[in-house]
Amino acid sequence: MNHTATVKPALPNSLSLVAVTVVGLLCLPLAYVTHMALTADAAIWSRLWTTRIPELLFNTTALALGVAAGTLLLGVSLAWLVSRREFPGRRIWEWALVLPLAIPTYVLAYIYSHLLGAGGPVESAWQMLAGPDGHLPSPHSYAGVTLVMTLDTFPFVYLLTRAAFLNLNVSYEEVARACGASRTGTLFRIMLPLMRPAIVAGLSLVVLYVVSDFGAVSLLRYQTLTYAVYQQITGRYDPTAASILSLLLVVVALIFLVAERWFRQQSRFFQTTGRYRAPARRPCSPLGTALATIYTIGVFAASFGIPALLLIQWSLSAIASGAVDVRFFGFVWNSAFLSSLAATVAVLIGLPLAYLASRRPSRLNLLCLQAAYAGYVLPGPVGALALLAIVSHLAPFWYGTAAVLVIAYVVHFLPAGLQSMEPALQQVTPNLEEASRSLGFGTAATLRHVTLPLVRDGFIAAWVLMFLQSMKELPATLLLRPVGFDTLAVRVWLEASEEYYQLAAPSALLIVIMTIPAILLLLSKDWRAA
Amino acid sequence: MNQYHFHCQAIRRILSSLLTVVACMTALPVPPAQAEPDRLVVYSGRAERLIKPLLDSFQAKTGVQVDLLSSGTTEVVNRLQAEGARTPADLLITNDAGSLERARELGLLRPLTAPDIAAAIPAQFRAADNSWIGLSGRFWVVVYNTTMIKPADLRSLLDLAEPRWKNKIAIPNAGSEYLQAGISVIKTVYGDDRTKQFLEGLKANAGTQVYGKSSQIVEAVAKGQVALGVVNHYYVYRYLATQPGAPIAVLMPDQHEGGMGAIINVAGIGITTHTKHADSARRLVEYLVSEEGQKQFADLNKEYPLHPRVAADPALPPYKTTRIAPVPLTKLGELREPAMALIEQAGLR
Repeated sequence: MNHTATVKPALPNSLSLVAVTVVGLLCLPLAYVTHMALTADAAIWSRLWTTRIPELLFNTTALALGVAAGTLLLGVSLAWLVSRREFPGRRIWEWALVLPLAIPTYVLAYIYSHLLGAGGPVESAWQMLAGPDGHLPSPHSYAGVTLVMTLDTFPFVYLLTRAAFLNLNVSYEEVARACGASRTGTLFRIMLPLMRPAIVAGLSLVVLYVVSDFGAVSLLRYQTLTYAVYQQITGRYDPTAASILSLLLVVVALIFLVAERWFRQQSRFFQTTGRYRAPARRPCSPLGTALATIYTIGVFAASFGIPALLLIQWSLSAIASGAVDVRFFGFVWNSAFLSSLAATVAVLIGLPLAYLASRRPSRLNLLCLQAAYAGYVLPGPVGALALLAIVSHLAPFWYGTAAVLVIAYVVHFLPAGLQSMEPALQQVTPNLEEASRSLGFGTAATLRHVTLPLVRDGFIAAWVLMFLQSMKELPATLLLRPVGFDTLAVRVWLEASEEYYQLAAPSALLIVIMTIPAILLLLSKDWRAA
Repeated sequence: MNQYHFHCQAIRRILSSLLTVVACMTALPVPPAQAEPDRLVVYSGRAERLIKPLLDSFQAKTGVQVDLLSSGTTEVVNRLQAEGARTPADLLITNDAGSLERARELGLLRPLTAPDIAAAIPAQFRAADNSWIGLSGRFWVVVYNTTMIKPADLRSLLDLAEPRWKNKIAIPNAGSEYLQAGISVIKTVYGDDRTKQFLEGLKANAGTQVYGKSSQIVEAVAKGQVALGVVNHYYVYRYLATQPGAPIAVLMPDQHEGGMGAIINVAGIGITTHTKHADSARRLVEYLVSEEGQKQFADLNKEYPLHPRVAADPALPPYKTTRIAPVPLTKLGELREPAMALIEQAGLR
């Protein structure tokens, strides 16, 4: 083997140049929306302020608070249960409670729209008790959306809190107990305050998710900023009002993103030493066992079990009536094609950004990496609005092609991917590569035998994550899909919004089935954005 | 220091190989649409299930493949405009003459000289230069729950703004073209102040019962969530066809002596200015206005066929004896912007 280690006098900044260009393109949609909103006619601003904005801000905030309260209750109590108590089946519930993350909000929303809707099974059961005139509150309401979003997002809080319970230094508890505090007192006065940063980080994540959700609010007809932006885009010839509402939405999302980051920083510093040993789980009394089992099964059934069974039942009858045909497999192909293309492009784009930030942490390179996170605050309809405008001005040739949709996915989901690509590269110390070179391996051999094996897992995780999110994406896909390019998510929404629940089921079930293994795979990595 | 350069090189290698993969993947699914003459792309603002059966039977009959993009009416017009000369669309179908008229004003549709089409569709249902052709008629009606109210309770659409209907009505959202067309007509007949009053009352009475789809309004009325709703008539008859016992019925509003008359609109089709398949596109239009095509609008969709020799479903209120609001369809385009301004001022969702 004759590997000469000649180093070409490479252009030192060529990669930086690529990174700056890429980041510039990534930030363009955000800049464009801001520009459109700020240059809008003052009359449109004032009309929106007097008619729509107060209602939308109120609704959005109220929903975020309601869901935050619900997920706090479910997430923290379940995390405590599985990490501090022992009861039969605890190990199974510990991971099963993550499964609701596999159900997209629009799927859960349409299932609850059927379950709780007028003439649905719950109302029929109620009418057997209360007589034929008994009516339940409609799921198409604040309460309905809050319920659906809570059941869908509580695993965020559950996961973070559970990790905090498991990592908490048991000495604190033991000291508190030795000093005479009761178990309840220890929990509420010592442990929960210590875990506050983790809980709040989970809540911020939930709120960010709720604020940018389109699927549940559109199917349950609850007016939030995200839904209003979509309605403005599809119902008006003039995009100005849409851009104004978009800017407001971006600001709201930004507030919660910053909050989440801040609390995550806090939680990083809050405990200096690791735990000494695993916390002991106290066995439950027979009554406690019964209560714990009923509670966990109840939450699991409501958030995953019943919806999954319904989807299977509906899918079977849809298949029996011939709904799974050549067209259906076309939608599967479209979904797979678009998502894998987007994930691949995003890994390609993320590679130089993550590489530069970890190997050459200059101010410019770090700034580039931060700027690539802009997509986080661009909810689907906002990104679509900006891309529609930008593409029709700058690259009209691309208008209405799959390329625009792929760009939208990349802009929106690259941040989630970067979160696992960045640490993967950072963990590879340059010393390993230098050692490999000095021991006689060439560029390619070092890359193949040292660097790639080390970063592979992180990059695969990033790819899977972005693939899944692109596959579940709804609003941007609805707005940007090319002719004949419906995806599974689009089909679910189109059928469900006309209340053809059975026809929507096969596509929804397929999305859920594809998401489950990936969620379990990613649990050890970064599940934050799943 | 060489590890940086070494990595640059390595990354470039990865990048170039991955780029090749992407290039191959992108090359795969691009349909060679321009090369095949017998393939049409239709942008449609109608719900897919209301138009796809007709396009499928055209495809079966002629062998011309029809690709459909089904989305919101305003959205597809916006899209057509943004795509300009590069649009893949050969035809535009919408639910609303106002949107077709707007597409015509924007130069998106091409005029048609076709005597057989002119013979099939009466002049009041076509653009002056035939750049769009009406395919089927619909009335904007009140659907009511027969167990909750009696038809005598309501005479005019404008009565819906009265406080007695508080929390009892369901309405379409502000983006709905039916609502926009309806308000255009009411505004022309009654003037701005009266219309604004009507919209404010409507908003207050509907509360959160604001829907994105007419089928949902019919469903809400049938289930008794609300007593009344405003929809296009055929959604009611389509619902009754699948659920014959549902407690709903249609009330044709404003039929009283001196009343405004019912608000009519059409679904229509136009051939795009930039189509490269004008002949096939024209065959599709001819098929849809033919007696065979029109019969499908009547039988499948419960719409009013516009061809004089094709009869509507006998369950529908007879077209001939219905009093119709005196606003020509071709005016709906220019009336749209001022009507939308009123809707927005009233703050409808």
